[in-house]
This record gives sequence, structure tokens and C-alpha cells, in this order.
Amino acid sequence: MDPHAKPDFETPAGREARYGEFVSLLARHDQSIRRFVRSLLPSNQGVDDVMQETALECWKKYESFTPDNAEDAVDEFIRWACVIARYKVLSWQRDSSRDRLVFRESVIERLAQDAMQNLEQRERERKAIETCLGQLDADQRRLVLSVHSPGESIAKIAEETGVKTRRLYSKVNALRKRLLDCVQGRLVEEL
Amino acid sequence: MDDTIRNLIFQAIDQTISADDFEVLQDAIERREDVRAEYLRAINLCESIGEIATESAGDLHGDLHGGPPQRNAAPASVLDDATQWTWQRLAIAAAVLALVGGVAYWFGQSNDADAPQWVDVNQDLLEEPEEALIAGHATLRSAVDLRWSNDSLAFREGDVLPNGVLQFDEGIAEIDFFCGATLIVEGPATLDVESDWSVRVVKGRLRASVPPAARGFIVKAADSEIIDLGTEFAVEVGDDEARVEVIDGEVKLRGGRHDGDHLVTGEREWLKGSQSRPDAFKGLSTLSDVQRRREDAQIQQFEGWKTYSQQLRTDDRLIAYYPIAESDAERVIPNRASSGPELDGILVGPVTRADGRFGAASTALEFDRPGSRVRTRIDGAFDAFTFACWVRIDSLEHRYNSLFMGDGYENGEPHWQLHEDGRLMFSVMVDDTPGAGLGPAEDSRLHRIYFTEPIWDVSKSGKWLHLAAVYDPVARQVNQFVNGEPISSEPITDQFHVKTLRIGTAEIGNWGQPLRNSPWFAVRNLNGAIDELAIFNAALSREEIQTLYEQGKPLGY
Repeated sequence: MDPHAKPDFETPAGREARYGEFVSLLARHDQSIRRFVRSLLPSNQGVDDVMQETALECWKKYESFTPDNAEDAVDEFIRWACVIARYKVLSWQRDSSRDRLVFRESVIERLAQDAMQNLEQRERERKAIETCLGQLDADQRRLVLSVHSPGESIAKIAEETGVKTRRLYSKVNALRKRLLDCVQGRLVEEL
Repeated sequence: MDDTIRNLIFQAIDQTISADDFEVLQDAIERREDVRAEYLRAINLCESIGEIATESAGDLHGDLHGGPPQRNAAPASVLDDATQWTWQRLAIAAAVLALVGGVAYWFGQSNDADAPQWVDVNQDLLEEPEEALIAGHATLRSAVDLRWSNDSLAFREGDVLPNGVLQFDEGIAEIDFFCGATLIVEGPATLDVESDWSVRVVKGRLRASVPPAARGFIVKAADSEIIDLGTEFAVEVGDDEARVEVIDGEVKLRGGRHDGDHLVTGEREWLKGSQSRPDAFKGLSTLSDVQRRREDAQIQQFEGWKTYSQQLRTDDRLIAYYPIAESDAERVIPNRASSGPELDGILVGPVTRADGRFGAASTALEFDRPGSRVRTRIDGAFDAFTFACWVRIDSLEHRYNSLFMGDGYENGEPHWQLHEDGRLMFSVMVDDTPGAGLGPAEDSRLHRIYFTEPIWDVSKSGKWLHLAAVYDPVARQVNQFVNGEPISSEPITDQFHVKTLRIGTAEIGNWGQPLRNSPWFAVRNLNGAIDELAIFNAALSREEIQTLYEQGKPLGY
């Protein structure tokens, strides 16, 4: 028997082996898929739902996922899952299109197209972001992180420093822009 | 990349963008590749910052003056230890391998800890309290002729039902569990609500309807668990017997004498006691029975209120009376007090007609858009005020949310509104001379706001409330009431004592014209509806307010 042959869905043992393989791929790439989904939704709201539905759908269709060779399987899996995720985002969008701040379909399509081209960049970007964050001084870093830290908030910093919330917030955005430029610079440098 | 677009991108990510700007941003994303690229970069940046912030949360304070956040110290870090991470995840996954739904659930939830707290930005900006949480597992959707047992907590229609025992002696309750299952319970009944997905029947008859989304809902009776595998079944539990019958679909029994049995449409089983009464389920109420009974009861209630309202309008202490519920609310709401059509309210802007508190047969006015208001002009001088209204509040979205507001808030004029934190506010202007006030502003005017404790939170969203405020210059008291119960009583001190009260031009549900010569107006429209408002030139007693509530309350109160 060919040791590289995929276990099939016919026998219970084969099915279980396929399932194990599927779960392992999913576990390894859920962050990338999640990031892709997040790019198409205006907020974190809905990301969990879409991810769940995507996972289920991927498993249902997993039989049809047949990468050409084992080396490509990893990359192909992300792409394949993101195509499914894109459909799930669109159907989520249809259900919640009357809510405030939901992208229209045409915008989601275009963003998905572009986001698909950068799926592998996530780790490099993350490293660049860490480096750039490291270049800020401690107070600036705390401010930028505060927006997303449990137990931290702009309001708290505002109280401590006596600077108005709104001013702090525009400082956060200025820092974010600086980080964006810094990250962009580093990524270009690496190429 | 120009700065304006970048700001819009961050506002969108933080969910603080206005609807118009969001359109502008969407257009730009659609048309320009560079905007798309920038948007995706910004999302990545913010998400990564979120991850880093969460991972280094523990170190952040100690790290303030140190080096960069010590991400490497975090053992669960995704990138640093991918192998370990994967195996951890797989171990968790293995535990739920039995069901595909299991892994999907795990997959969807697994990143909660990493999810950046975007909402914080909004909260910081608005300086609002933390995200609201409501504890409970179900809602009392309708209550027909329901009489709660003496030692049981009593709930009203629309109430969220918490963990614990519900007990009523008669009537029918329709209970929606958050998982989607609906129970129609006939009294006398005792239930123990255990979770979104399970309930124990101690006593009573009920019909459970379980849509596909709620499959797996469990009703416990005697020593058995009835697990729904789809659609509808009936349960009856008495002192010595308990039984279940599947009306449509399938259930599985767990525990007790029939452990492991499946029952399908038409099958029944005794979980306890003997098969003494084969026809016990005949006549068990269906959803449409409940609805019909409810509609009948509602119409009766509506008719009862109309009769009372006819009598109320002859009260010569009334300044104005707007029984909106009985009107068609075209463009005018008639004043039914003896003061007559001069004081009719005029609908201005996008006021919309909605169902009143007696259901579709009755009318309410909704003020959910900023331009919505009902204007009126009530001249004259008064000795006391009582304001009483029925209101449905959907949310308190503005800092101040209007019930009844005098336009200019000049001497003797009232303001009746709700603060965003749920407190009722009633006030009368004492001295409108700029500078007379105690506030920090140079032109502040002298008045005193009488606050109640918070009477509203999001759990009361959409429910009808009877509110009343009494300004009594003789007894020097301000009394406020919710659903006929006094909730606040404060003395009027000399400094804030006003003997001559006025109204003048005023608005219901908004405060549109505070400064007559300015195009600016504060956004204070009520996100909700009003279907009755009475204003008296008198300080009504506690008993009288109670009567207004009792005679006017809708079904299920």
C-alpha cells in the first residue's frame, strides 16, 4: 500500500484518520483563517460565528480537498478554507446587512480578493510589528496597547495623566500611523 | 496615503465611525487598491497589537519603564511554540471528537482570550460603564390570567427569568428559553429553571416546542430526563405520577425506568406512577390557544381602560390628557381634558405609529429618530404638577432622554426625562437668570434636578412602564413613582421652592427647541414609545397614582 495515500472516508478507521488530519490542519491555521475573516468584517462581532460555520463547512467538504502533494497541502488548505470563509462572511453579511457598519457585498468581495494574496505574510508582519512597537518609548507603547488590554483603558490613562480622552485617542491614532509606516518600511526592506 | 482616509480606517476599526463616513470609506475601499491595502494593513496591525496586549497584559504594569513587552515569556504564545500549541489544541479537540459540531464549537470559541477588546474604545470615548450583562435563561413571553403563588417571585410579560423556581396557581405562561425552546405551561405549576437548555417540572402540565436550533433541550420530570430530538412533546407531573407524550417528532429518555428509550410521534410513557388516566393530555393548550386567549384578554383589558379613561377625562384637575392608545395618531393627538383642542399635540418630524401597550388594537407614538417630537402649547399658571405616562423604553441612547420638556426651561417650567444610567430626572426651573445657578458655567441658571435611583436597565427594554412625577409646592415634596410604587420622595428646600408653575410651549418625547434662535439642538429624543400622558394641576396622592397604574396596566402586569 502506498504510504502517502490519503485515508479514505469509506472505513470508520479511515474516516477517523481523515478527521484527525483535518483537526490538525485547522488547529494549525485557524489564526490565519481568523485574520482573513476579521479583515472582511468591520468588527470582531460575527468573527466567532463565521469561524464556527467555516469549520463545519470545511469538514463537510473535506473529502473534496485534494492537494497535489504533501508540501503544498498546508498553503492550499489555508486558501481553500479562506474561499469557504469568504462565502460564510457573505452570508453573514446578508443576515446582518441592516445593522450599522457592515460592509456591503462588493466591498467584501474586493477585500477578500486582496486579502487572499497576503495570507502567508501574517507571521512576517507580526514580527515587524513587534520590532516597531519596541522602538516606541514605554509610555507610547502603553498607550497604543491600552486600547486592547484587559484591565487597561484610555479612560484610565486619561485619569492618571489628566489628558483628555479625545486627545489621547488622537495620539493613539498618530502612533498607529507611525507603526503602519514603520512596519511597511521593514517589510519592504526584507524583500 | 492621505490622513483623512487613514483616520476613517481607524474609526471603522474602532467602530466609532459615522454612517456617512462609513459610506465614504466603503467607496474608497471599493475603488482604490491602495486604500484596500492600507485597510488590510491597519486591521492586521490592530489585531496584532490586540494579541500582544493580551499576551503581555500581566507584564504591562511592571513593564512600563522597561523594554518591549516580553512576549516570549508567555507560554501559550502561538508563534513561539507552535508545536506545543498545536498539541494542546489537539488534546482539547480529542475530547470533543465524537461530534463534528464539537470541534466547530471549540474552533469558534478557542480564540476568545485573544480577541482584542475593541469595544473599550467606544466606552472610553463615551465614558460609559462596562458592557451590560443580564442574568437569566428565558423570557416570560406571555402570561394569560397568571396568578403567582404567594411565596413565589412574580414576573411580568417580557421579564427575563433567572435560575430558580417559578410557581403559579392558575393561568397559562408561555416561556421562551434562550436556546429557542418554548414552553406553554398551565397552572397550577412549579418549574425549576436550570439553564438555557434545561428545566425541571416539579408539578404541572406543559407543552414544549423545540425548533431545530434548540434540539437537545431537556425537560426533567420525576427521575427522568426528556431530551428533545426535534419538535413537540407534552409533559405532566403530579404528586404521584409523571408522564410524557410526543406530539410530533422524537424524544429520548435518560435515567429512570425507561432509560435509553426513544419515543416518537403519538407515543407516551409513564415516568412515575401507573397508567391510570390515558387521556390526561386532552385539552392541553396549544400556542394558538394561548395567543387567542391572550388577544381576547388584551381586548378586554383595553376596553376596561377605555371605560376608565372616559371617567378620568372628567377630572377637572387635569391640565391636559393625551390618551394616545385610543387615537389614530394621524398628525394630531387630541387633548381629551376639558381644556380641549387648543392643547392638542402636533406630531412633528418622523414620529411613527407603533402598537400601544394593549397590542395591535392600540396606538403608541415612537420617537426613535432625533427629529421626532410631539409639540404642544399649554399656557397658564399652575399650583402643582403631576405628570403620569405609560412609556416603553427601547434604550437610553442619549445622555438625557426626554419624556416631557418645557421648551425654554424658563421660570416654573418642568423637565421630565431619563438619564442614560437609568435614573429618572424631574426638575423645575427656579431662576432662569444667567449666572443665578450654582453650576460652574458663568451663565448657569438656578434649578434642582430630583433624581431617582436607576429604574431602567437594558433588561427592561421594550417593556411598558407607568411613570409618574409629582411636584407639590404646598407639602414641599417631589414624589416619583414607577408602576404605581413610590420610588423617591425628596423635600423641596427654600432655595428651590417654586410656587407658580408654568409650561408654555413644550414637547413630548424630545426637547427640540431649547434655544429658539439657534439651529443647534440637543439630541434628547426618547428611543421608545409613549401611549398615554396625563398632566394635572394638582399633587396626586400615592393612592391616586396607584389607581392610574392599576386601571391602565396592560395584560400580564
